[in-house]
Amino acid sequence: MSLLKTKLNRRKFLAYSGGTLAAGAMASKFSTIKAVASEHGKQSKESGSKTVPSACAICVNKCSLFADVKDGVIHKLNPNHNFFKSRSMLCARGNVGAKVPYSPDRLKKPLIRTGKRGEGKWKEVSWDEAYDYIIENVIKLINKYDNRSSIAFASTEGLQEEFFRHLTSVVGSTNSVRHPTLCLASNIQGYSSVYGTLPDADIANAKFVVMAGSNRAEAFITPDTIDLAKKHKEQTFVYLDPRATKSAALADKWFPIKPGTDMAVVLAMINVIISEELYDKEFVNKYTHGFDQLKEHVKENTPEWAEKESEIPADEIRWMARKFAENAPASVWYPGRRSSFTANDVYYRRACAILNAIVGAWDRKGGLIPKSGISLKSHEFIFPLYDRVKNRIDGGKVNFAADILPEYIKSNKGMPKDEVAYLSEADGSWVLFRDAILKQKPYPVKGMFVYKQNPVESVPNRSKTLEMLKSMEFICTIDIQMSDTAWYSDVVLPESTYLERWDPAHSLGGVAPVVIFRKPVIDPLFDTKSMKDITVDLTERFLKKEEFWVDAWEEDKAYMRDYVKTFKGVPMSHIIEHQLSDYPGAYKMLMEKGCFYKTDKIPYGKTLKEGARLKTKTGKIELASVRYPEAGLHALPVYQKPSEAPQGKYRFVVGRHAQFTQANTQNVPYLLEAYGHYTNMLWIHPKSALKQGLNDGDYAIVKSSVGEQKVKVHVTEYTRPDTVFYLHGFGRLSKWLTNVYKVGASDAEILEDYAETISGNALLHETFVEIKKA
Amino acid sequence: MSENSRALKLAEANQKLAHKRRNAKEKWGIVLDTSKCIDCKACTVACKMENYVPVGFYNYRIWVAEDTHYANYPTISRSFQPSQCQQCENPPCVHVCPTHASYKTADGVVMVDADKCILCKYCMTACPYDARYESHTTEAIDKCTFCYQRREEGRDPACVETCPPKVRVFGDLNDPNSEVYKLLAENEYTVLKPGKGTKPKLKYIK
Amino acid sequence: MTTNVSTMNVFAKNDKISNIWLILTLLISLLGVYGLFNVLINGHDVYGVTRTVPWGILISTYVFFVVSSTGLCLVSSMGHVFGIENFEVIGKRSIILAIFTLLCGFGVIALELGHPFRMMIYNVISPNFKSAIWWMGTLYGIYLVFIIVEFYFLMKHNHKGAFYAGLGGFLAGISAHSNLGAVFGLLEARPFWHGPYLPIYFILSALISGSALIIIIFFVAYRSPSNMPEKVVKVLKSITKIFGFLIGVLIFFDIWKVITSIYGAPPEKFEAVQTLLSGQLGVNFWLFEVALGMLIPFFIIIFTKGRNIKASLVAAISAVIGIFYMRYDLVIAGQLVPMREPAPGAHVQGALPNGLVSYTPSFTEVSIVIGAIAFCAFLYLMAEKYLNLNEE
Ligand SMILES: Nc1nc2c(c(=O)[nH]1)N[C@H]1C(S)=C(S)[C@@H](COP(=O)(O)OP(=O)(O)OC[C@H]3O[C@@H](n4cnc5c(=O)[nH]c(N)nc54)[C@H](O)[C@@H]3O)O[C@H]1N2
Ligand SMILES: Nc1nc2c(c(=O)[nH]1)N[C@H]1C(S)=C(S)[C@@H](COP(=O)(O)OP(=O)(O)OC[C@H]3O[C@@H](n4cnc5c(=O)[nH]c(N)nc54)[C@H](O)[C@@H]3O)O[C@H]1N2
Ligand code: SF4
Ligand code: SF4
Ligand code: SF4
Ligand code: SF4
Ligand code: SF4
Ligand SMILES: [Mo]
Repeated sequence: MSLLKTKLNRRKFLAYSGGTLAAGAMASKFSTIKAVASEHGKQSKESGSKTVPSACAICVNKCSLFADVKDGVIHKLNPNHNFFKSRSMLCARGNVGAKVPYSPDRLKKPLIRTGKRGEGKWKEVSWDEAYDYIIENVIKLINKYDNRSSIAFASTEGLQEEFFRHLTSVVGSTNSVRHPTLCLASNIQGYSSVYGTLPDADIANAKFVVMAGSNRAEAFITPDTIDLAKKHKEQTFVYLDPRATKSAALADKWFPIKPGTDMAVVLAMINVIISEELYDKEFVNKYTHGFDQLKEHVKENTPEWAEKESEIPADEIRWMARKFAENAPASVWYPGRRSSFTANDVYYRRACAILNAIVGAWDRKGGLIPKSGISLKSHEFIFPLYDRVKNRIDGGKVNFAADILPEYIKSNKGMPKDEVAYLSEADGSWVLFRDAILKQKPYPVKGMFVYKQNPVESVPNRSKTLEMLKSMEFICTIDIQMSDTAWYSDVVLPESTYLERWDPAHSLGGVAPVVIFRKPVIDPLFDTKSMKDITVDLTERFLKKEEFWVDAWEEDKAYMRDYVKTFKGVPMSHIIEHQLSDYPGAYKMLMEKGCFYKTDKIPYGKTLKEGARLKTKTGKIELASVRYPEAGLHALPVYQKPSEAPQGKYRFVVGRHAQFTQANTQNVPYLLEAYGHYTNMLWIHPKSALKQGLNDGDYAIVKSSVGEQKVKVHVTEYTRPDTVFYLHGFGRLSKWLTNVYKVGASDAEILEDYAETISGNALLHETFVEIKKA
Repeated sequence: MSENSRALKLAEANQKLAHKRRNAKEKWGIVLDTSKCIDCKACTVACKMENYVPVGFYNYRIWVAEDTHYANYPTISRSFQPSQCQQCENPPCVHVCPTHASYKTADGVVMVDADKCILCKYCMTACPYDARYESHTTEAIDKCTFCYQRREEGRDPACVETCPPKVRVFGDLNDPNSEVYKLLAENEYTVLKPGKGTKPKLKYIK
Repeated sequence: MTTNVSTMNVFAKNDKISNIWLILTLLISLLGVYGLFNVLINGHDVYGVTRTVPWGILISTYVFFVVSSTGLCLVSSMGHVFGIENFEVIGKRSIILAIFTLLCGFGVIALELGHPFRMMIYNVISPNFKSAIWWMGTLYGIYLVFIIVEFYFLMKHNHKGAFYAGLGGFLAGISAHSNLGAVFGLLEARPFWHGPYLPIYFILSALISGSALIIIIFFVAYRSPSNMPEKVVKVLKSITKIFGFLIGVLIFFDIWKVITSIYGAPPEKFEAVQTLLSGQLGVNFWLFEVALGMLIPFFIIIFTKGRNIKASLVAAISAVIGIFYMRYDLVIAGQLVPMREPAPGAHVQGALPNGLVSYTPSFTEVSIVIGAIAFCAFLYLMAEKYLNLNEE
């Protein structure tokens, strides 16, 4: 399994780019943005207007845009009408991007910590000083622990992330940990186990859509959000969520499902479809594997049973099942994005995939469509052959793996107890990773690079993350603002914002793939660099340190010299040209139209063609998995009843808001203002509020087993009586996030740190909280 | 150049453009299908960016209100109503303005000439839609201009262009070939506060 | 050029006006200076007005001042314009106070306007004849000229001149004032104000203010009825009767205003009136507007049959305070029903849970108001002390 088991083989360490992304940034004080650019930033000498194509980087969608620049200052970012994936839109966050480079709260110069960690004392240093400091510490740690893997690399997707991954390889650590196990790892795993891939939904053409656990109206995924909101006339949209989100506003029916029970509904729908023989027999015969086992498996899962679990009336479930079959293949049970929900998540996602398969709503108009991409020529990075490297700290057998499971699922046979069954080599499993570091098992990890990620807020159980940071001897964070993680770092490197830098071309996978890129809309205002420059500069400096290469081959060093030469001298535009060199005219189209695509039509049925194979073991749609039993897992999705809320406690769930990207844009005044409040609030049902003696506008203490937060109360019928919620990204620790520092409550602080052991995904809906009037 | 002077420059440019277009024949309007609105506020933020409307809770030209009906839990229906200046054909704000600072362009867009505005705020009390506010950048009354600066390029207003599901459609209500004209022909629609006699050019599809 | 008035005639020292009062009113005026500086330095943010209630206490105080001015002018014109006997004695005093109240009114509104100087320019070069505010402003400008001229002629004992200027002032005042009513009455957006009622109501209340103020200033001039010449006492008695009668009419007006605003619950009007009857302006309405402004003066005059002018003074003071609140309530209540529903997300400024909006004057606004009133009193006391305002 390990990347480095066979040390004699050079392994190409390819940057993982499964389309699993998240991102972006920015800040600015309420008062004014004038001061910044003029006081410290470089004044532009440009005059006149220009329009520059680029792409938004504030979230994973990377919507293509045209920037309107007047006299060297960004005036407005406008949607790119050629970019069909976003249906010609920029969301609120995308629009506010125009202010990102001018934010007074952004990072402007490299910083080295002078006070205690987290004390907030910094000195501005030159890049050279910062680099020297980093090189010295990295080499010190590698020597001290005799292990390049003693340095961890944490990152979240983005077009520059590949360069951060290069840095990981230069240093030679196996310990990279990426965002998927906070986000969609279980989703990828569940769907891939059935289809060999995580497909997209053809929302624009679907006639019957069930969305459970995805709030598409607020959590933007292009083009799904827009297609759903367009509400074409023949579409029925059923929405399952314990909260009446803005997606509920679009829905024909909203069911406040009991959290963690979605799978019961899916199994019951499968039960109805099979028992009423509504499934697509021909399709099932031809393209699927294991139908008979499935039929047997769901026998007991009647709508009446599911009603007891989910609190959705049996009749409604039956109605959903019949409609689902009737509208097939234009039916979708929407594959969500963030699936860091409850412990049974992988099996739940499997069930969803199976439901779509039995009605033949796969790779046909209006159904689930496998993603496709436009393959670009990439610069392959060779992972050097170092001696002082150990396997991933969270990889292979981990004897404390069971510790990350919630109690109620520990006895479940289909849950591995001594490892993460399908751990991704590139992504790791954040929760387990952190535990392993804290336990120093099997070896100490004492240094850390963080790129475009903010684990202090994004990994559940904030105190534990802080403890992990405390245990580090060296932390370097590369960000555009002083994230909470940067706040606890030793060196903070300012990356140029997405509007000030070139980013390589990138194919956005999806039902109709399209390529985007970034070019500077304005010159960098401050002393910042791109991740590419940082990696190249650091590599160049490492090359000057003999002691760094003692365990490397001369060939590797030569390769690194070559790498530096290539990337240092060549402008990004040439790299992009090279990336697109397989497609004549593509570069020109990209530069002029802002995006490149071959067609905007969806190529239905590629996987249904004669001789086509899916990336599963049988090559077919695996209703019953062939691989799973081999790994000691259930072949079919087995329902696990979630634990009931203990007396007097409530289940805490998390979710998105259209004004905020993860824990990222909360500091932006324009967005706080559009959001409508300056803090987050606890959603609690009137009945529960009454029980706790709370009124709207009161303050409450929300307490779990790992932490507590004080938060303003919002009494609302928009949530179930047994479920509470508040928005992510408030109650921050970094003082430089001026508008949200200690404003409102942090969810990371109270979330208990569970993960499931099939994909390693964190579980953000397994926390029960006590609520008391503050 | 500061945000303020940019705002002033834009206001001036719009006066000039209005003068240049004094023989324009169009009648601009917006048709809205609010059932598509997801309250994402792309429109409100885009407007601020395009028109230099500064940060401030009550500095806005455009807003999205929520209209929720509660029956018995969980029978809740949420919906959103985005709106802005109605660009009235019979605009009380223009009638009351003592100095002609508020005026209507040839193509029917109600605008404010910041130079002439004495900030008496009479127009604010006269507008039945609360569409106006006092701007600290232009030191005058400010309101939706249908992004008049975009007329020259023929570009949709910022709020219209950026809206994800395209709740708003902008166009010439006089032109039978325009999308707005067709939408009005094909759908039942209403205007806000019809009883006030303002004849709004924002039309809401029922 | 009829008579050549000697300085002795224009100036005369009135010893009844003590320096203490002068100093006191001047000191209180300093509060207004504080307000003034606060606005000049910090801009209009220091006001309590909002997007939804753009007109606050400065507007209502302006209205109070100009209503007073118009009232003083109208009542005094009974003498030298309409030749009602004995009324000449009130001429100088009312007109000088009319000038001061108007100037203070202008001062207050200048502080409320964002660009008072710009107004002077664009009112002339870019007039909108459809705008009630334009007419109101312009007519009050003309009115000011007339009453200044009138005062000049009065001081010069030029009766003919005073007659023409007085007539001009009367006409300008009455048109300006009904236009002020129209400023509100023409607003279809605000049903509480909308309609022909306000212009008429404004004239009526002007006469009340004028009468009340005249009673008060004669007490200021003479301290007590025992010092007053017979003629003055007689006039004050007549004015008291007119004053009482007009309050009666006002009560009648108000009752119908309230009934028509409640009957059938006409939308928006009803809610606005509710703010007076039982809402945020309830105390203002019942205690100040109704009790002090109408009932107390009305009954005092009824019970004394208008013969006890000391009682009239109490009635007048009570009424003036009440009328100040009437102006405030009128201006504010008309704006408390927001033009948009304060639904979540709508950002209706000042929205309250009951669907209305609210307004509270800021300290700066209040200080300007108090300062302006005190300064007006100071000016009047100075005039009283150093000018010959007696008619003999
Ligand atoms: N409690 C809770 N935890 C969660 C979630 C939740 O909803 N609630 N959601 C989970 C999910 S789905 C995800 S995807 C993760 C996301 O978690 P993270 O990957 O940590 O994402 P963000 O919180 O957006 O933080 C991104 C950081 O990148 C920085 N950044 C932005 N643009 C740039 C750039 O151009 N260059 C550099 N160098 N830095 C940049 C930002 O300033 C910010 O500090 O969080 C997960 N964790
Ligand atoms: N505006 C905006 N858009 C974004 C992002 C963002 O931060 N902001 N982030 C991007 C990223 S990284 C991701 S991963 C996606 C996330 O987008 P989504 O996958 O849509 O995730 P969430 O918003 O976390 O929505 C989860 C919803 O599930 C509900 N829920 C909780 N428990 C249950 C349950 O047991 N059953 C059911 N049926 N529902 C439940 C929650 O109330 C919540 O509304 O959004 C992407 N798009
Ligand atoms: S959805 Fe919004 S934030 Fe995300 S990339 Fe597109 S415009 Fe940017
Ligand atoms: S941009 Fe469109 S969908 Fe979003 S809030 Fe505005 S009108 Fe509604
Ligand atoms: S505030 Fe300005 S625009 Fe409004 S009426 Fe007065 S002068 Fe005209
Ligand atoms: S909506 Fe208000 S501001 Fe707009 S034109 Fe009509 S009255 Fe004037
Ligand atoms: S048309 Fe332009 S000015 Fe008017 S609300 Fe839309 S973006 Fe703002
Ligand atoms: Mo995510």
